[in-house]
Amino acid sequence: MTLATAILLTVITAATPLLIAAIGELVVERSGVLNLGVEGMMIMGAASGVAVAIITGSSTLGVLAAIGAGVALAAIFALLTLALAANQYASGLALTIFGVGLSGVVGAPFVGVQREGIGRITIPFLSDIPVIGPVLFRQDLFVYASVALVIGVSWFLWRTKSGLILRACGENPVSAHALGYRVLRIRLYAVLFGGACAGLAGAYLSLVLTPFWTSGMTAGRGWIALAIVVFASWLPFRAMLGAYLFGGLIILQLHAQTAGVAIPSQFLAALPYLLTIVALTLIMAARRGTGAGSVAPAGLGQPFTPDR
Amino acid sequence: MALVLERRPEAGKWALLLSPLLAVVLTLVSSLVIFWMLGQDPLRALQVYFLLPVSDAWGLQEVMVKATPLVLIATGLALCFRSNNWNIGAEGQFLIGAICGGGVAVWTHGWGGPWVLPLMLAAGALGGMAYALIPAVLKVKLRVNEILVSLMLVYVADLLLDWLVRGPWRDPFGFNMPQTVTFAPEATLPLLFQGGRMNLGSVIALVVVVAAAVVMARTLKGFEIRLVGQAPRAARFAGFSDARLTLTVFAVSGALAGLAGVLEAAGTVRQLLPGFSVGYGFTAIIVAFLGRLNPVGCLIAGIFIAITFIGGENAQIVLRLPRDMTLVFQGMLLFYILACDTLILYRVRRRVPGVGAQA
Amino acid sequence: MIHRRTLMTGAAALAASTALPRHALAADPMKVGIVLIGPVGDFGWSTMHDRGRRRMEEVLGDAVETTQVEAVAPPDFDRVVTQLVRADCKLIFTTSFSYFQPTIRMAEQFPDVMFENATGTSTLPNMAIYNARFYEGRYVQGVIAAMKSKTKQIGYVAAFPVPEVIHAINTVMRGAWSVDPEMRIRVVWANAWFNPGVEADAARALIDQGCDVLCQHTDSPAPLQLAQERGIYGFGQASDMTQFAPNSHLTSSINNWGDYYASRAQAMIDGTWAPEDTWGGLDSGMFELAPFTNMTPEETATAENVVAGLRSGEIDPFAGPIVNQAGEQVIAEGESLDDDAIRSMNYFYQGIDVSMPG
Repeated sequence: MTLATAILLTVITAATPLLIAAIGELVVERSGVLNLGVEGMMIMGAASGVAVAIITGSSTLGVLAAIGAGVALAAIFALLTLALAANQYASGLALTIFGVGLSGVVGAPFVGVQREGIGRITIPFLSDIPVIGPVLFRQDLFVYASVALVIGVSWFLWRTKSGLILRACGENPVSAHALGYRVLRIRLYAVLFGGACAGLAGAYLSLVLTPFWTSGMTAGRGWIALAIVVFASWLPFRAMLGAYLFGGLIILQLHAQTAGVAIPSQFLAALPYLLTIVALTLIMAARRGTGAGSVAPAGLGQPFTPDR
Repeated sequence: MALVLERRPEAGKWALLLSPLLAVVLTLVSSLVIFWMLGQDPLRALQVYFLLPVSDAWGLQEVMVKATPLVLIATGLALCFRSNNWNIGAEGQFLIGAICGGGVAVWTHGWGGPWVLPLMLAAGALGGMAYALIPAVLKVKLRVNEILVSLMLVYVADLLLDWLVRGPWRDPFGFNMPQTVTFAPEATLPLLFQGGRMNLGSVIALVVVVAAAVVMARTLKGFEIRLVGQAPRAARFAGFSDARLTLTVFAVSGALAGLAGVLEAAGTVRQLLPGFSVGYGFTAIIVAFLGRLNPVGCLIAGIFIAITFIGGENAQIVLRLPRDMTLVFQGMLLFYILACDTLILYRVRRRVPGVGAQA
Repeated sequence: MIHRRTLMTGAAALAASTALPRHALAADPMKVGIVLIGPVGDFGWSTMHDRGRRRMEEVLGDAVETTQVEAVAPPDFDRVVTQLVRADCKLIFTTSFSYFQPTIRMAEQFPDVMFENATGTSTLPNMAIYNARFYEGRYVQGVIAAMKSKTKQIGYVAAFPVPEVIHAINTVMRGAWSVDPEMRIRVVWANAWFNPGVEADAARALIDQGCDVLCQHTDSPAPLQLAQERGIYGFGQASDMTQFAPNSHLTSSINNWGDYYASRAQAMIDGTWAPEDTWGGLDSGMFELAPFTNMTPEETATAENVVAGLRSGEIDPFAGPIVNQAGEQVIAEGESLDDDAIRSMNYFYQGIDVSMPG
């Protein structure tokens, strides 16, 4: 395995949890809801996933539990922001506080418990192709799932009627409602989907990437996922690009350190954040002449209550 | 769904009273269940959470110490959020404020005079303002989304602080540990009372709240901010410039966050070190919304949130609850308050079947 | 077991200004407070202090009652300590260097309460400091790494460039060079004490760059697990991590604060507490090495000899001559660095090709 292949493999594993969570949040925001609680749902996914996997001995059940935990937290958020039209920003932040706390309670008995991680799948022959073989055909299921999610969500949003309706709910909920669509129900499905994805991303952390539980192990990845959605201008394939770019920058700065580059590590560590800003600025500058404006869903963050 | 929400023309008077009461009742009931499950006396737990922090003068001072940065930051954020400018990075502006103000204290250490403190406050506010203007300018000039830029700059500020206290600003007599010198007395905010930590910062925060309330209620700028938030098209017709307003509110909220940072450095922590911030910039977002984006509301909400934080510490000490349980409780409490808030803004109506569109 | 007489004399001597110490009259347990910098569940620094607290309770039984507050940031420290004092704590352990200056402040404010700061650098009449000489374990790691490495490159997953980590890196290399002067080291700063994902990524980067033995100065077992996954060797941190990498684990440095805590609380009860500067080595039991695994009998014997040498003082990891990266001699042959020089170390030795960050 060459160094380039090795780096690519690491970039993919570092980017995958970001991508899974970001894709979920992307659908949520497309429906017009901003859930700042990704971090809380993600860490609950991580804690529940590892807890159930240890108790039952089944990774599959662990993953399902993680998804369930994400959905459960998302349901609380939906109850507040959809059924009760509460403020989405504050509710999302409260969800993060709640999720971080609850994950600590759920995870407490499992601190320091060892468990085998979920391994990779090797596709025979194809994985032996130099450079791209191991990268494309020797990954864990989550990586394939993340790609499938990107393709599926992209297809759903732009190639199906349901996707069109979902986007309409995000752009102009009043019109969508007037046309007879159940805006709140559609937003509910979107929010729950976002929770499932965040939970799955958490499971990737605690069952695959670093198979154990410690408090606060998501370490802010939920926030990065939120940023990636914005970076992607709410487009699934660009979210993939954003996640891999961000993951790639993190890995490259670590490699720069191992090579003994004489730049303070804090500056190298700040690069992924700075370059993400620069990249988005360049994209927006390039688009400036074309007249395309802000691409955020017009109804993002606004509560919607159907009048009678 | 048989019940639907209907926006009230104005905040319901009864609901204004009822909503907090309902939140308290709900909190009581669920804490009854939770604390009973944990083998604790729920009433005792509530007393530890909400009454113990405010049961004496020292406790009240501590509440103000904790609330001061929250209130300052939230007041600035309220202006931003009112005009649909989503500054999520107040945490970064808070840190930069602390860095700029703290930098003055480090630089003048050993030869400063009474002019140091005003200079620190100015440097902190200006630093926070400049940092907040980065997302604002990018938004105005290139329509770059301010959520992403302001959020990413939080991490950058955090790493900058880390580098400064480990490198150039390290205390030369501090055994090379990552921290600056402890600030000299002239670089430290005076305490207000004996036997407590409340300092001049809390007074400044109160002044800012009053000033912001007056600006919002009585000036053209306040009207402009409210109008842009409620009816952006009308505001444009009225000749108000979106771009100028965006720059203004970001500048103000950045300055207030920066001021909060330097007050925290000069008043409470008295040095810069990693772990300097406990996430006030993010918590203040909740405070701003709980306070209904109103300066006086932010003051009340900030004090309330401060009490729940200190209550959480008390619960660890008195009830021996793990910290995570206190976070769960705090999260739940916020859920209830946000949910009950709905009652003030909306009326619950039974939907008459067959009338109007489907909900 | 509590002896009212000794307790009363002890308490009276310590708390002369307090007319009638309440616990002395009622034969209540002595209250001990502990302030943690991280969450109890970090599976590293704070988890091990929590285990130390439990061990203290186990040893002293009803004689003590402990109160612990976790994840206390420096701005909240003064309030938390004041609350602990108000809750009648007579002895308070503050378990981070970030608490050093604040602990001094609180110790001056509460002269009747005894404080102990972990990894601090000076004492007060009512403030002791304590730490363990973890670097002795690092020296052993260096010796083992040099015996195990084929690429002659050690990878070091480091948290932050603080003196504790810097002298650990230097000592690993001192140990490694004692076996093979060709040994080299690569360092990655994770900029976090615990962030499993980044620790794993850092470990991957080091392995990809050719390192085949990993040392870690971060809390999670992630780097060690990575070592196992890639078929190389690694060391555990803070607790015995053998189970996380049964085929790769060589030894772990285990933080063991419990007996120290118990002895200090007992000293309070007996009235013999004094503001000591404790920096315990391998012989003190404040930390220990997990049983060597995945090593040949010869390698184990060599490592055990080194441990014995460190215990007896025959091996001094900081004996001169020491030359820094710039080629300047820090200390001459025949001399040895004193504790303050070790505690404040901010340079790498010559032969370590890592730039000094910060």
